[in-house]
Amino acid sequence: MGGAGGGGTRDIDGNKADKKGKVSGKITVWSWDVAAKAMKRLARTFEQRHPGTTVDVVDIGYDNAYDKLTVGLRAGSGLADVLTVEGDHMPRYTANFPSAFYDLTNLGGRYGGDFDRAAWSTVTGRKSAVLALPWDIGPCALYYRTDHFRAAGVDPKSLLTWDDYVTAGVRIKKATGHRLLIQDSTDAGILPMLLQQQGQSYFKGGRVAVDTPEAVRAMTLMKTLHDKGLVDYENGWDGFVTGTKEGKAATTPTAAWWTGTLTDEMPELKGRFGVTPLPGFTADGTRTSNIGGSTLCVPAQSKNPRLAWAFIEFLLTSKANQVSMLKHEGLFPAYLPALDDPYLSAKQEYFGGQAALDVFARLARNIPPVEYTKDDAKASDIMISTVNGVMLRGKDPRTALDAAARQIAAATGRERVK
Amino acid sequence: MAVDTTYDRPAAPARAPAAPRRRRSPRRVAWIFAGPAAALFALFFAYPLGASLLQSFTTEDAGATRWVGLDQYRRMIHDPAFVESLVNTGIILVVQVPVMIGLALVLAVLLNQSWLRLRGTWRAVHFLPAVTTLVAYAVVFQVLLKTDGGLVNQILGAVGIGPVDWLNSPTWARISLIASLTWRWTGYNAVILLAGLQAIGNEQYEAAAIDGSGTLSTYARVILPQLRPVVLFCVVTSTIGTLQLFDENYVLTRGGPDDATLTPVVYLYKVGFQQLDFGYAAAIAWVVVALIAAISALQYAAFGRERRR
Amino acid sequence: MTAVQHASVRAHPARRLGRVAVWLFLACGAVVSLVPFLWMAIAATHSTSDLFHSPPPFLPGGRLLDNLARLQDTIGFGRVLLNSLGIAVVHTALSSLISAMCGYGLAKYRFRGRGLLLGAVLATMMIPFQVLLVPLFQMMASVGWIDSYQAVILPFLANSFGILLMRQGFVDFPDEILESARIDGSGELRTFYQVVLPCVRPQLGALVIFTFMTQWNSFIWPLLMLNSEDKYTVPVALNTLTGLSRVDYSGLMLGSLLATLPLMALFLLFQRQFVAGLLGGAVKG
Repeated sequence: MGGAGGGGTRDIDGNKADKKGKVSGKITVWSWDVAAKAMKRLARTFEQRHPGTTVDVVDIGYDNAYDKLTVGLRAGSGLADVLTVEGDHMPRYTANFPSAFYDLTNLGGRYGGDFDRAAWSTVTGRKSAVLALPWDIGPCALYYRTDHFRAAGVDPKSLLTWDDYVTAGVRIKKATGHRLLIQDSTDAGILPMLLQQQGQSYFKGGRVAVDTPEAVRAMTLMKTLHDKGLVDYENGWDGFVTGTKEGKAATTPTAAWWTGTLTDEMPELKGRFGVTPLPGFTADGTRTSNIGGSTLCVPAQSKNPRLAWAFIEFLLTSKANQVSMLKHEGLFPAYLPALDDPYLSAKQEYFGGQAALDVFARLARNIPPVEYTKDDAKASDIMISTVNGVMLRGKDPRTALDAAARQIAAATGRERVK
Repeated sequence: MAVDTTYDRPAAPARAPAAPRRRRSPRRVAWIFAGPAAALFALFFAYPLGASLLQSFTTEDAGATRWVGLDQYRRMIHDPAFVESLVNTGIILVVQVPVMIGLALVLAVLLNQSWLRLRGTWRAVHFLPAVTTLVAYAVVFQVLLKTDGGLVNQILGAVGIGPVDWLNSPTWARISLIASLTWRWTGYNAVILLAGLQAIGNEQYEAAAIDGSGTLSTYARVILPQLRPVVLFCVVTSTIGTLQLFDENYVLTRGGPDDATLTPVVYLYKVGFQQLDFGYAAAIAWVVVALIAAISALQYAAFGRERRR
Repeated sequence: MTAVQHASVRAHPARRLGRVAVWLFLACGAVVSLVPFLWMAIAATHSTSDLFHSPPPFLPGGRLLDNLARLQDTIGFGRVLLNSLGIAVVHTALSSLISAMCGYGLAKYRFRGRGLLLGAVLATMMIPFQVLLVPLFQMMASVGWIDSYQAVILPFLANSFGILLMRQGFVDFPDEILESARIDGSGELRTFYQVVLPCVRPQLGALVIFTFMTQWNSFIWPLLMLNSEDKYTVPVALNTLTGLSRVDYSGLMLGSLLATLPLMALFLLFQRQFVAGLLGGAVKG
């Protein structure tokens, strides 16, 4: 059933003639967390607008969602009509299951210019086929504790480079005793973020790129942060949130969706946080990156792809819906026209009157696109060990990255950039 | 009940004392009893087992399957993560299983004392950890073992120790895993051992009492040797559980930090479900099967022997 | 009563000391066993945001009812509890019976295919089940059983551990009794249900508890099979409380605690079977 032979993906039929045609029937949508909530809410509007349709949104939970997707893709059946897949996971699936998704190029290709280009690059497969539409993104900036910075006499605006950041960290620690940032020891910390800021991921042009000068620079920065005692290590998401709530760290370099966690879990810290662009590797370098973000796609097993597409289009290419999902569920839109909405430039009480969303909206247009591959999970495991090796056991960044590159190359059969 | 744990393996069907016991009844009758289970196995396991074995000789590239012979098995030898997972399993086998079974044995003997009041409650309390749902297990232990402010470190801090980095340092993460495994499964094993103890008839205890041996030596001399098959059963199931360890270390540390708590099954899960390398995952699974078969057979050879003397 | 029946002499000092030591040991074990549950109970009475303190709260809070209402509201806790109960009861009843029968067949009969069957039992016990998920899913999909309860229940009905446990229970069952039943003209099945099965109540009780427990906490397979929120089991439903960037810890703790209660009840109900292993002891005579 899936795929029009030759390992290609297939189109959703009748796209042109039926552009104004009616859709009917029922689809199931899989998602999780606030994304499921948002879709459940807007599905009702969609059903009203298209009588005779039913959109059943199922919250499958995040933790094991990919197990469900993997098994369904692998078995060739049993999946929903619309799937939520995080942008950085999409290439892994399209590479391993090349005919498992509908090709949306004819229908969605025209929206290419409307989406953040880093997010768009995650949904285009081989031969620029569009296999999903981007939903939300995670533009990065530096959340900081206004009180800690004030106490140490550090102006957050003066943090132009990561060197400034380290210097400020030392001062803040001396003045207030607070460390600079929290690292979750079950993942690779800020390494992927620092790499994307410099325009690369673990791979470049299909080759292993974890020992490039950029990677060495990122890892050296992380080692410096550790060596100067500026890192607080916590275990898992729960530890990360608790550490922040307890004020263990003066900053959190992370994505826009962190605001949701702050307002939900630490309402008492209202007025203590501010947001400023990420420090750059050079004073005029890129001041942002990306963490997370998801996309919606239609698996080739879907029996009602036209309705599936109609729902995706309704949800993601409408400024009003995108802004509503940002407002209610905190999903930061990859759909650029939505960023002009006045809601984004409004002052936010939680951030002491700062227009924090505006900082992200400005940065969102400059996120460097990077390459994701089917081997990211493999590389990621090795990089987590490497980060821990350098930070916790004092290995030399260059040597450790060289070893990691060798290991990834061996595990994936890819060549190295160097 | 006298648990007999000598598996009648197809290779070695001869059991010494079995001569008059088995009735040579029509095959038909036997299949009435064994049929439903056999049918279920044939229906639901024959294909998956065969499919996974076949898959372990293949690899996939962009959706196309290719036969690679023993390559996936060869890969394991040079895969540091896999080797590390075996080392971790070995440590748990050598340290955790004996400690847990020993504790369970003590617990079972104590819970078997007739003068003990509220025995049902004591038993239930000790069994409780085994019934925790996994989600709760994960969250609770992460909170208890938190480096700063975790309950365990607060207690240690009160007596001037620590703080210990329970889940973030490779060595301590191993210790934490061993402790949390022991917490979860000691009571479970104690209950099985207790059932074994209670199946040993009163006469045995009485006989021991009459010939004047005290409580402790009664257990050591008379009761424990009879309990051997049940102990062996616990050892073997715990060994299988260890070689298939997935739940606890996956939810606590995802196999980290630095692969210190990685086990073969967590690794094969990562390889299969996250890296989508199904052939390699299947090969690892079958190596796990081989290891379990070999180690269980060894345990029977070493400890199951004596009762046939 | 098959527990140790020492002459009930009045305890002399040395023995009393021993008893205190026993109590102490058991009490320590109990504390260690209970503390995590205690913390779950405490956590269930706080809001999630309160739990992100360091140290976390050690005294009960006042949000229990809020959490309960939210749990019902977000995942329909009552409904999923019933789903879990139904699935676990049906599964346990069928699986225990099938295991007992198979164990009996293996223990008391010699038949062609017996070795193969034992091999299959052992093989399924040894293979990491993660590797079976995809082919098994494919089978369920091909008969259109995805999102159905039979797909959750059927594949794991034949339980290796249970079969071996029951087989061991039956091995030493005296053949003379079987023979005399047969001479009395009792059919093989009737003999099994009326004569043999009552004698292995301890093992059966253990098997029921273990099977129910495994099914009740079973997560990955129901997650893969069930695609409608109103069919979810408790662990699958609780899993949806863990999101991408937010986790409802207090809901999780309350839900897990409530999910543990039926298991506790079951254990208290059936542990008599271990204690009252009188028939098992009697036939050994």
